[in-house]
Amino acid sequence: MPRYAMVIDLQRCVGCGACSIACRNENNVPEGIYWSNKITETVGTFPNVRYHYIPTLCNHCEYAPCVRGCPTKAMHKLDNGITMHDPKKCIGCKYCEFNCPYGVIYFNWETPHKFWRDKKAEIQGGTASPQEVVKNVGAKSIPYYNPEREGTYAGIRPKGVVEKCTFCDHRVQKDLLPRCVEACPADARIFGDISDPKSEVSQLLGKFRPFRLREQLGTNPHIFYIRDFNPAAYQPTKGGV
Amino acid sequence: MSEKKGLFGVWLAVLAIGIVVGLITTVKLFSQGHSLFNANDVLLWTLPLGAYIYLALASSGLTLLAAMPLVFGVQKYEPFAKRLVFLAIATLCGAFVSIGLELGSIFHMIYIMLSPNLSSPIWWMGAIYSVELVVLIVKFFLMHKGDWHSGFGKFLALASFVLALAAPLMIGSVFGITESRVTYFGPVMSIYCLLMAFLSGTALFILYSMVVNRVMSNGVPVELYDDFALIFTYTAGVVTVFTLLKYAIESATVVPEFLVYRQFAHAFGTMGGVHTEVLLGLFLPFVLLLIPSVRKSIGGKILTSALILVGTLFMHMEILLAGQSHPVGPKAEQFAPFISYFPSIWEILVFVFALTIMLLLYTLGERYLKLTGAPQ
Repeated sequence: MPRYAMVIDLQRCVGCGACSIACRNENNVPEGIYWSNKITETVGTFPNVRYHYIPTLCNHCEYAPCVRGCPTKAMHKLDNGITMHDPKKCIGCKYCEFNCPYGVIYFNWETPHKFWRDKKAEIQGGTASPQEVVKNVGAKSIPYYNPEREGTYAGIRPKGVVEKCTFCDHRVQKDLLPRCVEACPADARIFGDISDPKSEVSQLLGKFRPFRLREQLGTNPHIFYIRDFNPAAYQPTKGGV
Repeated sequence: MSEKKGLFGVWLAVLAIGIVVGLITTVKLFSQGHSLFNANDVLLWTLPLGAYIYLALASSGLTLLAAMPLVFGVQKYEPFAKRLVFLAIATLCGAFVSIGLELGSIFHMIYIMLSPNLSSPIWWMGAIYSVELVVLIVKFFLMHKGDWHSGFGKFLALASFVLALAAPLMIGSVFGITESRVTYFGPVMSIYCLLMAFLSGTALFILYSMVVNRVMSNGVPVELYDDFALIFTYTAGVVTVFTLLKYAIESATVVPEFLVYRQFAHAFGTMGGVHTEVLLGLFLPFVLLLIPSVRKSIGGKILTSALILVGTLFMHMEILLAGQSHPVGPKAEQFAPFISYFPSIWEILVFVFALTIMLLLYTLGERYLKLTGAPQ
């Protein structure tokens, strides 16, 4: 059984956000919820400042606090290491979200994609209402609905339950890459089986010194970051003299 | 007599309004969703959960008090035992109302039984309180039938005592085992919750007894409550020491999370550098209780227990909110660095509904169940 992991090459990542957009489309992610997200940091003191960008998603931790804390096993581990969620079992206690050290779980506070249920046209007799648009394109709930998502998870998660990245398990099952990996124009995301020494993921982890988010917590995250993008140069001196 | 009847009618009308408002809130919440709360993906748990913790802990405190006559055989407290058990049941029902309305998908609750996760403190908390409620109800039923000291009755009393000890520890561990939120103080939170349970349970019992004694004479000598006032004083003292210890650690540590926490962890303001709710809701009543004349007077008992009851609610809310007022990881992209909070009307109504259910049960119990009974 493989153990899936992802390496994100920060030297290649250009911060374009294509991963996040692709993820939203693939997984029918509602507004306000981010399965694929980013941490932006500004370091230094003006005028000596620099901007850093770290893409984030569920870390699919080996010792996942969300899984340990879920009272109904709605949040659970698959044999391939993916941290999966079952909305049917989710009681909406939000403990997984409270427990997650990485801020990658979200709660559906209201009916998702509410905008597309609106029956009112922006211009009466001129434009179609959001609901008509959905109906006219023959979609479910949203005009850009991806039915593929239903393969392993609710296509759209109902209000009152949490949701998060599933490593696109429905695609992985079909030997496809997670959508964010496929969409990355800079090939900054490498996905594979960390238990296979021949996989590119394993090779990269041996070649570079990776870091993981909040490693000290002992959750053993399976999103690894390698390298860093920094084009800055400076003159060599003896101790700054 | 007719004036009392009139007042009782007004009281019942107030409760009826509370129930109607609560039912409207329930329908509204489950049709529109929890966006009606002033909560978000940073500040996840707000007043309804704070109210649950508050009421559930008070219920545990009442059960622990009931153990004095029922488990440890302190006979002079037997006249209070039945009322204590009933109050614990009613208060726990109020807590369940609050947590029921806090949950997003109450209809999935069946999976608590079908798919239990034994590593989850939330599961244990729910399971322990559910079993405790059943045990307390059966125990109360036996006492009501006059069976106080049968083997089964004693077993139920012991079971309820053990459950009431375990439940606050488990509430504490819900927060304490969250390794990413160190400001909840880890395992110490469990001990804090247990102490707070005993404090708020004792305060609730004293306040309730004083009010009931005023409204209707129940045949229990008022002097007997002095013993409870003394227990109350000791408990307030222990919680005071514990709180000071927490303050000392909080102010001495340089753990980054605590440095941020120190800046913002005073949702209800400070007086002389001390949190207002701790000063007025714990330190002040503790000092008042140290004065024998205050402790022994009915007015003193009412004042100190009321202060502590309000104080403990605010203390729970302060801890709950301060620990989740900052976005975690990428949520800082979406939310402000610090989240302010004031409950929405719907959150307040959830709390009102929980209190109404509790008070309605108190009222019905006091009227129909002869709560001051003692074994023959």
